Amino acid sequence: MELNYSFSQVAPIALLPFFAFVINAFIVKKFTKTAVFISCAAIFGSFLYSLRIFNDFVFNTYSTDYHIHKVFTWFDLSNSITGEYLINMGIYIDNMTAVMLLMVSGAAFLIHLFSTYYMADDIRFGRFFVYLSLFTSAMLGLVLSENLFSLFIFWELMGFCSYSLIGFYYEKEGAGNASMKAFMTTRVGDVFFLLGIVAIWTTIGSVSYVDIYQALANGDLAGQVAMFGFAVPLVSFAAFCIFMGTIGKSAQVPLQVWLPDAMWGPTPCSALIHAATMVAAGVYLSLRIYPLLEVGGLLPFVAYIGGITAFGAATIALVQTDIKAVLAFSTISQLGYMVLGIGVGSYNASFMHLVTHAIFKACLFLAAGSVIHSLHDHHTHGHVQEMPRMGGLRKKMPYTFFAMLCCTLAITGAPFFSGFVSKDRILGDALLMAVDNGAVWYGPALLGFGGAILTAFYMFRMLFLSFFGEPRDKDLYDHTHQEKLSLNRNVPLLILAIFTLGAWFSGSMTGQGIIKAPFVKNKEWFQTLIEKPSSNNLNKFKTYSKTQWVDETISNNNFTKSEYDSNHGLTDEQAHHVHHVHHVGAVVSVFIFLFGTLLAYFMYIKKSLDPAVWVNRFNGWYRALQNKYYFDDLYVAKMIQKGLLPLNNLLSRFDMGFYDKYAIDGWEKVNRVLYTISSKFDNIFVDRTLVDGTGTSVKLFNVILRTIQNGKIQFYFIIALVVLVSYFYSLGLNKF
Amino acid sequence: MSLISYLVISTILFICGLIVIISRKNIVAMLLGIELILNASALNFVAYGKYVSAHIDSHIMSLFIIVVAAAEAAVGLAIVIRFFQIRESIHIDNAAQLQS
Repeated sequence: MELNYSFSQVAPIALLPFFAFVINAFIVKKFTKTAVFISCAAIFGSFLYSLRIFNDFVFNTYSTDYHIHKVFTWFDLSNSITGEYLINMGIYIDNMTAVMLLMVSGAAFLIHLFSTYYMADDIRFGRFFVYLSLFTSAMLGLVLSENLFSLFIFWELMGFCSYSLIGFYYEKEGAGNASMKAFMTTRVGDVFFLLGIVAIWTTIGSVSYVDIYQALANGDLAGQVAMFGFAVPLVSFAAFCIFMGTIGKSAQVPLQVWLPDAMWGPTPCSALIHAATMVAAGVYLSLRIYPLLEVGGLLPFVAYIGGITAFGAATIALVQTDIKAVLAFSTISQLGYMVLGIGVGSYNASFMHLVTHAIFKACLFLAAGSVIHSLHDHHTHGHVQEMPRMGGLRKKMPYTFFAMLCCTLAITGAPFFSGFVSKDRILGDALLMAVDNGAVWYGPALLGFGGAILTAFYMFRMLFLSFFGEPRDKDLYDHTHQEKLSLNRNVPLLILAIFTLGAWFSGSMTGQGIIKAPFVKNKEWFQTLIEKPSSNNLNKFKTYSKTQWVDETISNNNFTKSEYDSNHGLTDEQAHHVHHVHHVGAVVSVFIFLFGTLLAYFMYIKKSLDPAVWVNRFNGWYRALQNKYYFDDLYVAKMIQKGLLPLNNLLSRFDMGFYDKYAIDGWEKVNRVLYTISSKFDNIFVDRTLVDGTGTSVKLFNVILRTIQNGKIQFYFIIALVVLVSYFYSLGLNKF
Repeated sequence: MSLISYLVISTILFICGLIVIISRKNIVAMLLGIELILNASALNFVAYGKYVSAHIDSHIMSLFIIVVAAAEAAVGLAIVIRFFQIRESIHIDNAAQLQS
């Protein structure tokens, strides 16, 4: 079956939430309930459209290079000097897009649903949904984009939305600062991203994915750029710049500082930012430009950035007491795993981890939101999110606890859960890279495995602290209502919890092929969907002619149904080696999971290990972790105090000393002369001649009229007589 | 007696009426002037009826003029009386409100 979508079958995915945004923001405004309904209905609509595309693509198991590509020209900048110069917009749908669309719209719909519970008491209930709709719409548009430029537009739109949502409670000073910080920090990455786009565009005249792949295959990007006297390969330069966009958006080291502060936003918005939209966009971008990274030789750099982020963020998460802060650092850590996966060439697993992480992280945040919203401190009239005041909550909130437990098992990589399938495949590939390619690659693998221990520890620490044990704040516990099953509070959680099972993503249950699930024909459906666009198979992605709406669907004969190839196209001997390493990785992962979990169990349930002793022993490290490795202090002290502030002072001196003094005051002098001339002209010509002249002439005319129209009937009569007589007289003159 | 002598008398009457209307400030006198002009025209009709036209139309027309003159005098005098009640004068220059 060949697929062909018209504009009206694809565009609503992004346009429905956008229309909901427009209607809510500019038309309904006051009617909160209507706004909520419109937003939810719109996102459900895009979910249905996405479901159709998902169904078409995934259940027909097309070959991995099957794609639908439609383009129209947005701007035509062609002229005689530069030749053809078109700015195109369009859609590019392949298996990866189909999965992303379903994941984003599905998670966003459930988050919308949960928001109707969480935000119901808020005075700006309707406004929240305005931002939520725009956010989702931007993400869906980003996923559908066929080139980097239109991706960048949606990327920036999401930056704005995250800014408004993080600063949603703008009465609080912290929220305002956090939103500014998020916006500014991601801006650093975005500037590089734009630079990378420009670098590619000026070289090959297009930033479409397929064009970039084609240019790489043909060697069109082989040039060099001069930077600080060094000749840098253009590919490396562009790849680095675009990857900087990922670093900013997906909160990798060193631009991770904004994400923990994003916790100032309402919890459902955190769920959206951390799961389906904002941070996923960065990883998605890196997946799309994978060939650039590979050809540019940046993969080790990417792997190390990911590894350091995964490990570093996990260590910081160890000491957080705020339930949302733990989740925030776990997000950074998991994003680190995805980037690490890209770096070690584990393309499929990285994308799978993006999807599985989106699901369990959305669920974790919603569950945290459910906890925070129920814990109402009646002394301060605020919600409680500090874990030291929780404890024993599993009896009060059984459904939330169940969802949280499923997701914790998933994120820590417990067997049979989705995290094990995806994360441990990344770790397995990292290990394979280390075994095959030697010393340099041991770093990412060790960081990855180390981070996995910490992940198991801090996630179970969070679970044990909040849901197990005795309630530590008895007063708070007693005032918490018993959780009842409700549509908008628990159902989204439970649905997401169901999808944390590994069986949805891999037929072999573990992802490493240790235990083969019976009765499943296509054991690794995720593996069959997506093929790494490695530099040696780039020619599969055909180019297209840049005219009107172009259909670029590969015809019937050209694609084969993809089957799972357990050897991944390798020889038997190589495949055996790969499987062997993967099995080792899986076994290590299971032990790591057990070790971390047991450590947390002994510390927080049995209390046979006292955390305080460890804190005292590693006091310096503890303080470093509490201060997030002093990154914020470093940026404030070095970048802002030493760099930006003097620059600002310099600029202000320029402003006052030069611009104000000469430009503005000088302009005033010029104006003074002009004013004199103009006032003379005004007085003499306009005032005296035109204005007064009009008055005088009117006065003169008035005298005449006043004399004639004196109201004396006999005078009128005489005039009438004179006119009549002269008329007859002239009549007589004509006649004779 | 010929047509001309009738016309001369009627012209004299007409000019007399005109002069009265223009020169006199008394509204009643001006009404009298109008009567003179109407009579001049009636005389004209009668003269033409006798010397020019064989029909009786012009005589009937002169009868109409007499009736119109009577009606006009009645209406005019009524206006004059109302005017006098308001202004306590029948000087025509008092009726100059149209100018403003």
